[in-house]
Amino acid sequence: MLTYILKRLGMMALTLLAIVTLAFFVIRWMPGSPFDDPEYSPELVRILEEKYRLHEPVPVQFFTYLKNLVTEGFWGVSFKLEPMVPVWQVIGERIPVTLGLNLLSLLLSLPLGLLAGMWAALYKSRLPDHLISLFIILFISVPSFVVASALQYFLGYQAKAFPIIYQSLGSFPERLHSLVLPVLALSFYPVASLCRYLRGELLETLSADYLLLARTKGLKKGQVLLRHAFPNSLVPLMPVIIPMFTGILSGSLVVERIFGIPGVGGLVTQSIQAGDHFLTIAVLFFYAAVNLLTVLITDLSYGLIDPRIRLGGGKDA
Amino acid sequence: MRDRLKKNKAARAAFWILLILIAMAVFGPLMTPYGYREQLTNEAGEYLSNMPPRIPLLKKLGIARGYAVLRDRRAEYLSDTERYPEGSVIRTKNYYQSASGAEYCDVVVDYYVYMGVGEDVNFWLGTDQMGRDLWTRLWRGTRVSLLIAFFAVAADTVIGALYGAVCGYFGGKTDLILMRFCEIVRSIPNVVICSLFIMLLGTGVRTMILALAVRGWTHTAQLVRAQFLRNKTREYVLASRVMGASDARIIFRHILPNSLSPLISGAMMAVPSAIFTEAFLAYIGLGIPAPEPSLGTLLSGAWAALELYPTQTLFPALVISVLLIAFSLFTGGLRDALDPRDPGRA
Repeated sequence: MLTYILKRLGMMALTLLAIVTLAFFVIRWMPGSPFDDPEYSPELVRILEEKYRLHEPVPVQFFTYLKNLVTEGFWGVSFKLEPMVPVWQVIGERIPVTLGLNLLSLLLSLPLGLLAGMWAALYKSRLPDHLISLFIILFISVPSFVVASALQYFLGYQAKAFPIIYQSLGSFPERLHSLVLPVLALSFYPVASLCRYLRGELLETLSADYLLLARTKGLKKGQVLLRHAFPNSLVPLMPVIIPMFTGILSGSLVVERIFGIPGVGGLVTQSIQAGDHFLTIAVLFFYAAVNLLTVLITDLSYGLIDPRIRLGGGKDA
Repeated sequence: MRDRLKKNKAARAAFWILLILIAMAVFGPLMTPYGYREQLTNEAGEYLSNMPPRIPLLKKLGIARGYAVLRDRRAEYLSDTERYPEGSVIRTKNYYQSASGAEYCDVVVDYYVYMGVGEDVNFWLGTDQMGRDLWTRLWRGTRVSLLIAFFAVAADTVIGALYGAVCGYFGGKTDLILMRFCEIVRSIPNVVICSLFIMLLGTGVRTMILALAVRGWTHTAQLVRAQFLRNKTREYVLASRVMGASDARIIFRHILPNSLSPLISGAMMAVPSAIFTEAFLAYIGLGIPAPEPSLGTLLSGAWAALELYPTQTLFPALVISVLLIAFSLFTGGLRDALDPRDPGRA
């Protein structure tokens, strides 16, 4: 098991290295300088480029960059959005905001999605099931930015129940209050997909023989569902829940923009449009790393939840 | 298979809705005399920006009459026909006095009369900030979004099918190396790949298609590979090999046609996700450049004025939502019809 994890971590590091390399060369070999501005004199551009060591040939730059990264964990400095501030600090301030938003949304969607899924399975082919199925179709297909705009317009602007943008300077309750709409907007899709998955899983389990036995023993349908079917459908559920996090994370790119939340999402476009190259690379790295980590955790969770599944493939794994 | 699809009422309805939307994407822009990038002006040369929708047939019902509310106007100017042409003021409300004693109110005006536009000019869905007709732009945008999605998926399918076929058919070391590469590409998030691509090639319709296809093919490749692994040991493959068929012939004439149905439903499922991704990228500012509209750029452009002009967001939002719902219902039905062993999940 340990060798397997180490092997996977090694693979992950290689993939991340490939991504950083690719990103670096794509971004640095783009024509033009990040300091192309009609108001800057060529002399000024030259000085600025030398200041940030952008005047050397790209491979040399890459070598320096990689050396700093590996030996000191230094990601370079931002030179446009927050000049001379280390990139990691710029991102570091924003990561808690983004992760907090995503975790809140996950915490909200898990119980809701599971309850809705159980409810639909319990009342299969009756009114609650039909309603929930309609809900599933709607919210799996309707994009999060449409949901976010609708929430913002109706609940924020018309009903004035919630602030339309994030109150980053407000007190803690105020900030929480202004997070309600973004969290809701992010949660519709995970709730719907979790619900659809659990419903399907439960219906399949419910037709198993041992559940018929439980029913003939005299247990009520709800009891059977909760005590026997539900725990068994949790096994295949974990690999569904963990990648949901990546989904919410990319959804939050748009939702952060709509509600003006100062998270990592805004940096993707801001840094690209401003030409803040080292910042772009680090932001892309962040998204890739989170993505790879969730894939790894998902794979490991198979083995942890169900000991019959062996990882690594070897006899002694 | 067709009978099974016909029996699925939701899929059938979705099919017709899709057909209508596609027809509108083709013919919609031709229904108005305006061009999609034409900035319309009135006789005085003022841009007709943010005109409210006006639809002649619905006018009598009290909707889409072309009315707009002008907020915080000085009450004393209401009778000034220079500012408010005759017949333009419908009613006034919310009178209040400012600190300096001047009286203000909100004025509901017939915006078409207010802007001095003739009775025969109707913008069915209004105009945008730049004074461009939104009906024309909406359907042109739908067309562009659909085209981007179709070309991206076509590229996905061709590349993925070839790649997957080679992996599955030849197996062994080829398979191992090619699939490793495929896994690495898959593990990079979509946002990362798309933004790198857009940075490399600049924004544009062609870049968008490439950016969508560059990761999309991995899914098709895995799907086709699995089909090949399953099919290549079948008797009919052995039979044709005994008869001296070449590898290429076995791949293209025998196994690939037998793997068509999962390939088709896979491709159909990739279309809505391509439409979604395009709109998503437009929303974070990486969309196709103006003045060409797409559903995504229409939405992200209208979003800034959501509170003042909600209809500008409403119509593209409706079209993209209906499009995606219809696609998901239709492909759901198609999948069930193609693969009867796995009846109606969710």
